[in-house]
Amino acid sequence: MNRELISKAVGRRLNELRERVNGLDPERFGEGGFFVTSVKEVLRDQAADAPSRLSPFSQNQNWGASDTDCLTSLRVLSLHGQKTMPSAPHPPTEQFLKKLKANITARQTVFDLLADRYAWPLNFSFHAEDEVRETLLMRLMTTDRARIETNSVAAVHTDDLLLKLNLIAVHACATTDLRFLDALNYYYELLPATLYPESQNAWLLVSCFALYARALNSWS
Amino acid sequence: MRIGILANSLPAAANIYHEIKSVPGAEVFVLLSPVDERSSWSGLMLQLARVAVKPGRAKTLKLISQRAVTRFSRPLHDRETISRVKEMKLDIGLHKSGNIYHRETIECFRLGILNAHIGLLPKYRGRSVMEWSLLQGDPVGISVFFVDEGIDTGRSIVLSETVDVSHCKTIAEAKQHLFDQDARVYRRAIEQLAKPNTKFQINDGSGHRYYVMSKLFQDVAQQCLSIGNI
Repeated sequence: MNRELISKAVGRRLNELRERVNGLDPERFGEGGFFVTSVKEVLRDQAADAPSRLSPFSQNQNWGASDTDCLTSLRVLSLHGQKTMPSAPHPPTEQFLKKLKANITARQTVFDLLADRYAWPLNFSFHAEDEVRETLLMRLMTTDRARIETNSVAAVHTDDLLLKLNLIAVHACATTDLRFLDALNYYYELLPATLYPESQNAWLLVSCFALYARALNSWS
Repeated sequence: MRIGILANSLPAAANIYHEIKSVPGAEVFVLLSPVDERSSWSGLMLQLARVAVKPGRAKTLKLISQRAVTRFSRPLHDRETISRVKEMKLDIGLHKSGNIYHRETIECFRLGILNAHIGLLPKYRGRSVMEWSLLQGDPVGISVFFVDEGIDTGRSIVLSETVDVSHCKTIAEAKQHLFDQDARVYRRAIEQLAKPNTKFQINDGSGHRYYVMSKLFQDVAQQCLSIGNI
């Protein structure tokens, strides 16, 4: 592993990302505006002298019980980082995966399925979720990518795309498998720098950036 | 052994044809087909244009003169094409097309279809695998394996060899260097398969499927190549 070269490159990308986030207009995110302002503060502080605010996640040894919903948890994770959750029984992966694959083109259904299963998003990083992670990574880097490259980001259901990217980003913060970080690198380069998603949960773009910054920080 | 080279263009097939033709006991054919239905009509004109402008056209013209080319007007998964390929009673197919093969097409060949993949299996499946190998400080190489319907998931690896790319200046040059090995590695694989009791390495899924790489990491891979950190 060429750690030193990787470290320099991701350090540069982290600075670019900070600038991109800093340039975002919170008012364009509607009700998510306050959250966007908070993320900007976290990334700005980081630039000074607070490395611990972007510390990586450790991979879940147990399936975590959630005290809230997936979208709220993503905001918490992206602003404040990991917290310890009580253990809960792991819901079987096989049935879920079958359902996910059967509905993979029904974007809203995929969004609902993922949001429901990963109410505690770090569960996406749980070892037994390997096949789900591979499925989402493949979808993002093949079909979704091709659709955006051929048409535009308007060609995909933005909330579905952004939720998948958030989950990939959560795992990128907890793994040494560089494919997950590079999916975020790729989408950072692919999505227009001036993108303000016209979707119900447009702020998911910014939580994804915050998690991406955390993943980059762990390699820089 | 009857061998069919599956290609979408004659220049692509020519090198492999001439290399495999010299293997004792090998009867070699080129199966030319369009990638999809849309390309069928314009296919012939495109072929002629390619032959006219491509370097190495002497090899291509020699290939045409040997009457070893069968041209299909419809893609390889088409029912009519499949029945014509079956009639040819081929032992092995050599992949040199832009196709992912359906099971019915693979089953037209007694032993299957071989693919020369520019990554070391089982660790590196999928796309940009040369770049990923450079980035992760692993050796670069080629694997020849029997395809199935998935992406680099065929179980039987006939051979796997590392290739030195340290003399290449760019990623594109290194990649081309690997692609240029295909005729040679196919020949090695055919020779190996001609021996009795050939043993295969198993593509056990222990590696990862890789995807197209970001510009950020491509630059890192390029740096690894440039400074000889491979």
